[in-house]
Amino acid sequence: MSNDKKILATETRRTPRTQNLRSRVSRCFPISVFSVSRWLILFSAVAVPSFAQDARSIIQEVQKRNRSESERYEGTLQVIDNKKVTDKRWIYKRKGSFGDSKSVLTFTAPAEVKGVALLIVNHPDRASDQWMWTPSLERERRIAFQDRSTRFFGTDFSFEDLEERDVDQSDFKVLGEEKLEGVDCWVIDSRPKEAKQSQYTNSKLWVRKDHYLFVQVESYVKDTLARRISYTDFAQVQGVWTGRTLTVLDARRGSRTIMKLEKLSYNESMKDDDFTIQALRREGS
Amino acid sequence: MILLRLISWPYLRKHLLRTLLTTAGIVLGVGVLVGMRTANQTVMGAFQSTVDKIAGATQLQISAGDTGFEESVLERVQSVPGVRVASAVIEAVAATELPGQGNLLILGVDMTGDRSLRDYSFESGDEAVIDDPLVFLAQPDSIIVTSEFAARNHLATNSKIPMGTMEGRKQFTVRGIMKAGGMASAFGGNFAVMDVYAAQKVFGRNRRFDRIDVAVKEGHTVDDVRRAIETELGPGFTVEAPSSRGTQFESMVAAHRISINISSVFALLIGMFIIYNSFAIAVTQRRYEIGILRALGASRGQIRTLFLMESFIEGIIGSAVGLLLGLVLARGMMGYIGGLIESLYGVDQAGNNVLSADPYYIGGLLGGAFALGVLTSMFAAWIPANEAASLNPVIALQKGKAQAISEQETRARGWAAVAVGVVAAACLLFGAYRPIFYFGFLLTIVGALLLTPTLALGITRLLRPLLRRLRPVEGALAADSLIQAPRRTAATVAALMLSLTMVVGFGGVAGASYHSITAWMTTALNPDLVVTTSANLASRTYRFPSSVGEEIRHMEGVRIVQDVSAPRIIFRGKPILLVAVEVGSILQTAPSKPVAGDPATMYREASAGRGLIAADNLAQLRNLHLGEMVDLPSPTGVLHLPIVGIVEDYSDQQGTLLIDRALYTRAWADDSCSLFRVYLNQGVSPLVVRQRILDRFGGHSKLFVFTNQDLRDYILKITDQWFGMSYAQIFIAIFVAILGIVNTLTVSITDRRRELGVLQAVGALRNQIRQTIWMEAVAVGLVGLLMGLGLGAIYLYYMLEILRRDVAGLRLAYEFPVHIALLLFPVILGAALLSALGPAESAVRGSLVEALEYE
Repeated sequence: MSNDKKILATETRRTPRTQNLRSRVSRCFPISVFSVSRWLILFSAVAVPSFAQDARSIIQEVQKRNRSESERYEGTLQVIDNKKVTDKRWIYKRKGSFGDSKSVLTFTAPAEVKGVALLIVNHPDRASDQWMWTPSLERERRIAFQDRSTRFFGTDFSFEDLEERDVDQSDFKVLGEEKLEGVDCWVIDSRPKEAKQSQYTNSKLWVRKDHYLFVQVESYVKDTLARRISYTDFAQVQGVWTGRTLTVLDARRGSRTIMKLEKLSYNESMKDDDFTIQALRREGS
Repeated sequence: MILLRLISWPYLRKHLLRTLLTTAGIVLGVGVLVGMRTANQTVMGAFQSTVDKIAGATQLQISAGDTGFEESVLERVQSVPGVRVASAVIEAVAATELPGQGNLLILGVDMTGDRSLRDYSFESGDEAVIDDPLVFLAQPDSIIVTSEFAARNHLATNSKIPMGTMEGRKQFTVRGIMKAGGMASAFGGNFAVMDVYAAQKVFGRNRRFDRIDVAVKEGHTVDDVRRAIETELGPGFTVEAPSSRGTQFESMVAAHRISINISSVFALLIGMFIIYNSFAIAVTQRRYEIGILRALGASRGQIRTLFLMESFIEGIIGSAVGLLLGLVLARGMMGYIGGLIESLYGVDQAGNNVLSADPYYIGGLLGGAFALGVLTSMFAAWIPANEAASLNPVIALQKGKAQAISEQETRARGWAAVAVGVVAAACLLFGAYRPIFYFGFLLTIVGALLLTPTLALGITRLLRPLLRRLRPVEGALAADSLIQAPRRTAATVAALMLSLTMVVGFGGVAGASYHSITAWMTTALNPDLVVTTSANLASRTYRFPSSVGEEIRHMEGVRIVQDVSAPRIIFRGKPILLVAVEVGSILQTAPSKPVAGDPATMYREASAGRGLIAADNLAQLRNLHLGEMVDLPSPTGVLHLPIVGIVEDYSDQQGTLLIDRALYTRAWADDSCSLFRVYLNQGVSPLVVRQRILDRFGGHSKLFVFTNQDLRDYILKITDQWFGMSYAQIFIAIFVAILGIVNTLTVSITDRRRELGVLQAVGALRNQIRQTIWMEAVAVGLVGLLMGLGLGAIYLYYMLEILRRDVAGLRLAYEFPVHIALLLFPVILGAALLSALGPAESAVRGSLVEALEYE
């Protein structure tokens, strides 16, 4: 058995207690952000005709229209913090369908982080597993996201922002309709249920009426805006409407992160073997 | 107050020197007490504070001794309900190679999950100062330093710091700077953070963690979560609050603390006798005043209050100056204690300021010492004050009567001393019970003090013929002066006796320790070379992979290489040293002297992994017996093994358990090594092989090679350092003794000024007066010395017993320190003579008329 399979096999042998813990603590992986078309794709499809559940059916339609079997792009990430600008580039690959996907994010620049990679393995029944490969140490590390409100590797995303959120963990309500950037949108309030721990009290989601796309997400702590994620540069790529630029504002720090997607493609053929720790090691060495 | 102003103040002013000398007793007592305890507490406090600061919001810490544990334990801990955050930690002390910067305490953490445990308070706001958090994780040379350390070394982001690692000297890159305060102030700012996985590599930890820090979820109690983790992990792990680390550390330096406590008590006792002496003399000298005051209607209470108030004021002044002296002493001692702890345990606590420890503790200590100084002063003056109060005005007017001790009093003291001695001896019979033993010790000292006047008188009478033979007139006068005023002499002799008792005790313990350690080194510590990861043998920061031993084994000229792991583990709640080595090989090379058990059997059983060999000191401290089954917790479960042998071993003060390496490697899942013992083929030069090893590994590994002689020198140096404080105490004791003699002589001469004047008036030469005083001083010194040696011989027995039973479990042979005793004769007698020079000159230089008019 290869090393990565061993590790994965170990993962599947986790105790139910471990699984529960990880499910509870961390449905929170960068695939949601890095895979822009799948943002909030986990909101489940339980549509029932009431005002509140109408909001759910909108979310369900968002998921439906953004589904793809694979995804690849080259991305740039720019963090603008107190006049200091940090740039990074990476290649992102995802394979698999909702709830059972694997993805690899490999940094290509700057030189200090070149070869650093993240392997994300999603599971339909529990939270994802992640490993980070560090070529200079020649070893992988399991990433345990225990503190979801902290920033993700110096960006303005928090770990929680990267979660694939389960629709059952939130209540939705249509607040109204509004034009944003000249486009008609539904404004939907998303509020975590009591059992779900979140740094945010609630979030406001702006969904484009024409293509069922998220345009903006604002997250609040009590009544104070904590983060705003804006989607721009929309284009239809191989039949999937995608916002190719994300701007995240950390309202408390005043810093911004701009993420741009280049050479985006969907539904390419990809091998399962490319989504293993062995592959990371191979590519990193 | 009126009496104080009209009677006491003029007297004190007139006898300013004596007042100062008396107050010096308290100054010294309080000073030593404060100095030693403050220094000790500051170092201990610094350690605890470091632990607290770097613990952050950590509520529980999980460890498995020095060995650490496998990475998989982290997930098991994270899975325990009630655990909010569980973050892996590697903690190491590493030497920076920046000039004059010493060691850095390095905390290896996983920054992806550690932020909710510790506030890193980065310099330029939040995480941004880790210039790039991803770079920090990606590059194993990343390090975050404190702003204090950065400022001292002119470091900025991306500056380089050279440090010794398991891969040789490496440059680390500053990728973040923590703001001053909080965690960044730990270890005096010599604190740094790096990635836990990089730390594993740098410090040779393989895929192991030292510790897991845990924060508990809301709604769960810390105790419940602790129990849940203990259940999940089993008994091989210690789960405790961060503050418990301080407690463990404290237990490691218990020997030092006990020594300090005994010294402090003795210092105060000596101070008390000096005060008693001075007040007893003051009462004598002022008996006319007392008589007149009583005749004029002053009540006994008023007289008593007058003297107690004087002692109270002297106590306040002496204690205040003593506090200042103590703080100055503490500064000097702190570096010493810090250095001692570093060399013994590899934890450097130097660089912390006095009072940097818990301010409440230091405040309490200073307040307590102040109160103790004042109370000691008043207690010492209590008997003279009572005597003054009960003085019969008629006797008060009869010169000289008050310095004598009545037959009745002598008898009473004698009987009391006999009774106390009998009880003390009885206590020895039941000495197995600690309170009874210590009570007996106390009674022995009390008995000796009760007997002091009688013995002093007796010895002086015996000395009289000798003094007469030396100088017929002067000798007789000197002896008679002491015989006629035993009360004046007794307190000085008592102070001198106590001081010298301490000297004999400490000197005896030091000598016995040296003797035993040297003998042990000869039999058990005989490898030609010892290869370690640190110049400080006690440091456990780095570990070797076992492959290093394998390579050394194949080097030319090498006969045997013994792989040794020596982690500190928790055994029955306290840290001990576990030495894992191939026991069969030890039997061939350096079997320790057996104390219990058959050597062949014990080594065979231990070698087969069927038993443990305990060091005698561990057996003494933990009451272990041959054949006793003990539970030894390991990360893979509890080892239930018998003690198959008890041997003489001085490897560690807390005690050592010897286990076969194969069993250790299995149970601890650790094949790393702390050191290698290397035996060479006959005729092969250790220096040549040493160089071969250094050539092979020195450039890219943290490796030190000690020759056998280096090793012996190192251990003797440690022993020297350990007893260094004793030597300081010996010096202080001798100083106190001299102070006491000067005080007594000054008082004696003042007291006898008229008598000396009369002698001069009837034709005595100045030289005769001088020589009388010199001889008197030497006689006091000799009496105190003889009694000090006597009591010291008993005291040494108690010290060795305390060392065996409660401190280090060491069974040291009783050996009276003859060389120290011989050295004390010229030192004390010379000091006595020197201290008599001033008073003698003052006696012969004064106006004869004034002297005759005196009193």
